[in-house]
Amino acid sequence: MAIITKQARKKIWAFLALGMFSGLLLLPLFLSLPTGASGADPVPAASAKAADAKSVEKSRDVWYKTEGPVVGAPAPKTTDGPKDYPRYNFESRVLLWVGLQQHLYYGSFVLAVPIFCMVVEYLGIISKDKALSRKYDQLAYDFVKISLTAYSLTALLGGIVIFTFLTLYPTFFTYLSGIFRPVMATYALLFIAESGTLYIYYYGWDKMREGFLKWVHVSMSVMLNVIGTVLMMLANSWIAFMQSPAGVDADGRYLGNIWHVIHTTLWNPINVHRLLGNMAFGGGVVAAYAAYRFLTSKTDEERAHYDWMGYVAMFIGVCFLIPLPFAGYWLMREVYAYRQQMGITLMGGLLAWLFIIQAVMIGALFLTTNYYLWQGMERMRGAERYQKYIKYMVFVLIACFIVWLTPHTIVMTPAELKAMGGQQHPVLGNYGVMSAKNGAINTIITTTVLSFIMYQRGNKIPTVKWAPLGNSFLFGFFTMAYINIIWLAIYGYYIPANVRVGLSVPQVASTLSCLFIGVTLNALMLKGAKDTGPIAWGQISVRSQYALIMLATSFTWMMGLMGYIRSSVRLFWHVNEIMRDNSPWAFTHTIGFGANMISFNVLFFWMTILFVFWLGSLGAKKAPVTAPSGQKVPIPASSH
Amino acid sequence: MTGLKLVEGYMPIQMLGEMGLQALLFIFIFYLLDKKMGIKVNKLLQATLLFVYSILYFRYRIYPPIPFSVRAIYATMTLIGIFMWVSSTEEAWQDFRRPIIAVADATTGAAKMIRTVVIILLPFLVGFMGYNSMKPNVDEPIELRTVHPAPPASTKVHGKTFVLQTAQSPFRVDNDGKYSDKVQNTYIDGNPWDEKAPPYLQYVREGGQIFFQNCHWCHGDNLNGRGMFAFAFNPIPANFTDPGTIAQLQETFVFWRVAKGGLNLPREGFPWASVMPPWEQHLTTDEIWKVILFEYWHTGYYPRTWD
Repeated sequence: MAIITKQARKKIWAFLALGMFSGLLLLPLFLSLPTGASGADPVPAASAKAADAKSVEKSRDVWYKTEGPVVGAPAPKTTDGPKDYPRYNFESRVLLWVGLQQHLYYGSFVLAVPIFCMVVEYLGIISKDKALSRKYDQLAYDFVKISLTAYSLTALLGGIVIFTFLTLYPTFFTYLSGIFRPVMATYALLFIAESGTLYIYYYGWDKMREGFLKWVHVSMSVMLNVIGTVLMMLANSWIAFMQSPAGVDADGRYLGNIWHVIHTTLWNPINVHRLLGNMAFGGGVVAAYAAYRFLTSKTDEERAHYDWMGYVAMFIGVCFLIPLPFAGYWLMREVYAYRQQMGITLMGGLLAWLFIIQAVMIGALFLTTNYYLWQGMERMRGAERYQKYIKYMVFVLIACFIVWLTPHTIVMTPAELKAMGGQQHPVLGNYGVMSAKNGAINTIITTTVLSFIMYQRGNKIPTVKWAPLGNSFLFGFFTMAYINIIWLAIYGYYIPANVRVGLSVPQVASTLSCLFIGVTLNALMLKGAKDTGPIAWGQISVRSQYALIMLATSFTWMMGLMGYIRSSVRLFWHVNEIMRDNSPWAFTHTIGFGANMISFNVLFFWMTILFVFWLGSLGAKKAPVTAPSGQKVPIPASSH
Repeated sequence: MTGLKLVEGYMPIQMLGEMGLQALLFIFIFYLLDKKMGIKVNKLLQATLLFVYSILYFRYRIYPPIPFSVRAIYATMTLIGIFMWVSSTEEAWQDFRRPIIAVADATTGAAKMIRTVVIILLPFLVGFMGYNSMKPNVDEPIELRTVHPAPPASTKVHGKTFVLQTAQSPFRVDNDGKYSDKVQNTYIDGNPWDEKAPPYLQYVREGGQIFFQNCHWCHGDNLNGRGMFAFAFNPIPANFTDPGTIAQLQETFVFWRVAKGGLNLPREGFPWASVMPPWEQHLTTDEIWKVILFEYWHTGYYPRTWD
């Protein structure tokens, strides 16, 4: 009999553990398969046929237009009173708003951070430099340690939200949970799977530090993220249903097809948008944490470490920020396609001013990112040669930002209106529409990519033979991209709206090509490049760290804002066109009130997350942090 | 600045082009002063000059005048851009800070004098701003007018219900009488007065007749919102040639607005600053569809569609 070595035993256990996790992951899906959400008792086959003919009423799906058996009760018609809307002496909606927003902030954070951990841990594994590898590993461990406390808070806030919902909106909650019963059960089971995986992932870190077990460990992070993403998608199905219901008839009666209820028209756009948003947000929060630690650092070593950490977090966050506007564009396009009035309420009507604020925030994010990269070039010897281009890039960014921010509906006094001779300004009116905005944002993003490429090669001089050719290609490629983006923005005024919407595809393609081809080509050119000096980590201006904090605050504020907009657009509906909101709060708040609420939520989140960080630092060992030295600068593999 | 004309149709690009040229000129001048003439102008002075110049440009160059709210946005953006530029490198940032620090430290007699003046003037400035914001204002208040209020899901005109998401113009049809969103493009240069004109162009002609009998008084011969009665109203009627009006809307939205007029704007349309009559009281349903058909054909814009 062959002797099983200790190593092999470990492998077997590892496979078993992985198999169990996979099973755990799939279990809820199996559980939800046999029945729909009917809740009806099983009917014997013989009598079922007879009953079918007599009693099974069929109805039409409001979205899919398919016929289905009515298996749910109609949406309740609520009345303003203690039965449907029990309340404290306070606006119930605002209470729920705060609870949900905090839950979302933490939920996003704990979904994003494991993705970071996964990436950073993987970078550590593949890194050939031992010291750098350990550094990455420690960083990933620090991340997950922070997220562990945040995870408990997320669950706690989730409980608070459920109780608030149950006690303040019982009728609505009963209706919603009646339809989503299997989804909610799956959600709860997945939550258990997520918790188990997370705890083993965290507490097993030291045990699975070396060799094959390390790969098992990083595979667990993949599984953790798969579960997390499915959890998020399930939760998204509830809000997507409220906004664009499907799987029910016009009276709100469930028609037995749970997939229709989940897979509403806005579900996938929301999924994509939220996933990217979470990542960008998570990056922002970690970067802000690093910036805070940088600013309070007492030694050069600490400054170097937190400078590096801030950079890595910012880098990952921005990678997801870049495709975010495109995902947002897709979501809005689907909203318009679903209901014209919803689209107009959002972007041209009642909520249009909030979109202007959103535009400000998006612009601020990209400006801040560029600014941070330019500041980062200060700590590289040799990057001076690119600094002379900054002023031109500032101009391009600001000119685009001006176009991006020009409102379609201008605020003006009646006297100004008269002087202007009409509601539309003949010059600025053209900046107020989508064609111009698309051109502007794509140019801003392409310029951000250009800044990054400059940063990439800050302290390097390409030595590959084809460098001149590569440089010419990059120059030509970016020039063509700018021309394409701007030309299509102008051309968009001369064609039908549906074709114009399609123009965004080549524009986005130009931007993304610059991102992927430009960055990849640049990285290839920098292989074996001549170093003009190491990156002097820690020797970055304090302004850059304030920029990181601003980046994070902008993310948080924008998340609050966009969530509010998305939710408000239902106006006086709990479930759009299905279940009416008859509480006294079925009105849209003023812009000022909304903005104050968002600010309150942002402030509250940052206060509590600081507490979480503090908790995390309590358990931290006073491990000496070594400054990165020499040529081996600890930066993501993809960036240098 | 009045010597240079803004060319109609190219104004938005012209404005951006002018901004770019001015920025280049600005860079060039200070490059010449520094490198060729040896006069190094401090970054704070450069920044101040650039900011003041941009304020003047947006205030006086663009006509019609830009409302203050937009100029405030532009000025803020310019200021942010200037800050990014002067603080992009440590050297530039130190150069920018130097005069400010010098005044704050007051190491020289002149600096001391400036600091004294600033310290004396600052409270007055704050006081003046406080006075300005507190003093009673007799101007009409700013109204956040919603130009395109969200339409209802459906509207009833002459007893028939139209679902705005799905309804189609019965006259936007090809030669076989089938609805076509391509037909306008096909006949965009066609002649509606041609006796052999296809049905679509004939409907356009009929729509034009209705327009010139009923609408052009306010919306103007060129559909640009400058009809003979236009300036009796504030705001003046909608300018269909602007890319922000009918070009942004589904045909059914326009149908709803024309049929119901200003009187029946929804609550969201506050302050209901529209005196357009509810045209359903004067025109038939077909006439309303035809006049809309004409408006799109004449301006060359296409109604918004989603597939």
